Amino acid sequence: MRADGGTSNGTAALVARGLSKRYHRTLALDAVDLTVPAGSVTALVGPNGAGKTTLIRVCMAFERPNAGSVEVDGVDPWRHRSAALRRVGYVPQSPAVYRGMTVADHVAMARSLHSGFDSDYARRRIAQLGIPLDQRADTLSGGQAAQLGLAIALGTRAKVLLLDEPLANLDPLARREFIQVLLDAVHADGSTALLSSHIVTDVEDACDRLTILGGGKVLLDCPLEEARQTHRLTDSDSPPPGATAIGSFLGRKSGRLTLWRLPEGPGGQGGPPESTSLEDVVLGYLAAGRGTAGLQLN
Amino acid sequence: MLARIRITLRQHRFETIAATVLCLGVAAAGFIEAWRLNSLNFPQSCLQDGHVPWFDPTMAPTQCSVAAQRFHDISDGGDMKFVFLFEQILPFIVGIAFGAPIVAREIETGTAPLSWALAGSRVRWLFGKILAVVLLLVPLLLIAGLSADARQGALVPGVDPHATFDYYADRGVFLVFWGLAAFFGTLALGTIFGRTMPAVMVALLVCVFARGLWEPAWNHTVLRGFAVVGDANSYNSADLYVYESNELYLDGKVWTGDINQWWESNQPITPTPDPSGVIPPPPDFGPPPQPLSYVIHGNQYWLVATIECAALLAGSLFCGAVALIWVGRRKPY
Repeated sequence: MRADGGTSNGTAALVARGLSKRYHRTLALDAVDLTVPAGSVTALVGPNGAGKTTLIRVCMAFERPNAGSVEVDGVDPWRHRSAALRRVGYVPQSPAVYRGMTVADHVAMARSLHSGFDSDYARRRIAQLGIPLDQRADTLSGGQAAQLGLAIALGTRAKVLLLDEPLANLDPLARREFIQVLLDAVHADGSTALLSSHIVTDVEDACDRLTILGGGKVLLDCPLEEARQTHRLTDSDSPPPGATAIGSFLGRKSGRLTLWRLPEGPGGQGGPPESTSLEDVVLGYLAAGRGTAGLQLN
Repeated sequence: MLARIRITLRQHRFETIAATVLCLGVAAAGFIEAWRLNSLNFPQSCLQDGHVPWFDPTMAPTQCSVAAQRFHDISDGGDMKFVFLFEQILPFIVGIAFGAPIVAREIETGTAPLSWALAGSRVRWLFGKILAVVLLLVPLLLIAGLSADARQGALVPGVDPHATFDYYADRGVFLVFWGLAAFFGTLALGTIFGRTMPAVMVALLVCVFARGLWEPAWNHTVLRGFAVVGDANSYNSADLYVYESNELYLDGKVWTGDINQWWESNQPITPTPDPSGVIPPPPDFGPPPQPLSYVIHGNQYWLVATIECAALLAGSLFCGAVALIWVGRRKPY
């Protein structure tokens, strides 16, 4: 037990146990068990309403869970909020900037609020992106505002970064730049990132781990490569040997596609080493989560 | 902490500029009005009852009528009333203007998750903001309050403004404490509602009632304990009239009889005509009993001011505590 009440569990940056959150009659999180290994970049993927934002908000002590517990770097944010938040860098869903304040003011504000904030580091990150420090934050483009939010989160030098769909409103180039800055920082600092998104292609190259949320439940949680290799997509009802059907959805050209989970190991029992695209894996699980086979690729 | 204060005032720069301009403007106007009256050098010998210029210049002695008229033209002028009106509403305007957006605007504009995530402790975050606003408001409202005192002193040249209860809750240190009460009350509302406009509307309503009921409520409760029997023969405007007793004042003594009984026994309703039919004049029984007024003399100004300001401060701290507790419990959206 640490002085701040946290219990270090060694390799896990974020642990959720039986985490449930209900909004009136809607169950946003349903007994979620999740472990995000330290040093990983985990994609938290799911459709709108899957519970991604709720999970991150519970980790940020913005939402109180109805059941279960969560630990961020070994600290329960609902028991030791300050200690937990010192360990977290947070990027909200929509870029939140103060009107009339400059980029430099935002860095100064972060410095005044967070005792460990590294202003020089944040300024360097911002300067690398060519964002003028004296520019008013409300005149920044969406991509620049997102980068400012990321620079502030990175400036905390937190061990855990929680990013709540920061890419949702960005154009492809801005998304690419955002992910690159994030990866550079995570690899340089050895921190852990949980990146929530419903755009699979954005996180495919950036993340090394995949967590699929659907209907408030964890549908899949494994390393990215394992997700690719332990699933197969077929356009017929004949499964690979020993495989379990996950879900069916409509393909772009062909008709119905079915995602299968192989019984064990890459390629299944004696099968050839193949790889399924991450998007297909996600779509299969989301279709299963919906309980219908009507998900259309776009 | 200096950086926090600077950033907070920058985040609320519109309110900061507006409050500064308003407070300094009202203060300047008050000082100018006081200077205009003082520059008349109203003769001491012309003061009514030794301290008040004639409210009605036509009633002033001949040798004072010109001076009284010139004084009256300024003291009863539209600009003086305008300044007085602004002095009355100033603390509420600036208090509400600062209190409503402190938390509510952060929630409305979506910046609360960012700042709360960075701060860790929301209580510390809000405390820093409160400190910045209080450090700005107190000196500004104090200047405006001193200006209002100077204006009151000029209006009644024979009386120290800190020894009279004339409009005592609309000037001096009261402006500071009314402003703080309005600020903390609206802050609590804004924190609970999470919306600026509803907090402003409710705060306006509460302030109107609170200010309107303040003096009657105090007169009926705490101040009764400090009141003494006033001089029934002369009215002293410096005194604070607290309440009128059911007791009567007769011949310099408190008389506890029934006024109706006194009238029946001393002044028959229909005098009996004499045999010639002439109604005799009623007998002279002297002055009738007077209702007994209880007052607090002007020299108790600081005692009353201390008690009332302490009550306003206690209310402010209570509302501040509500805001601090609530901000720790609420969601940032």
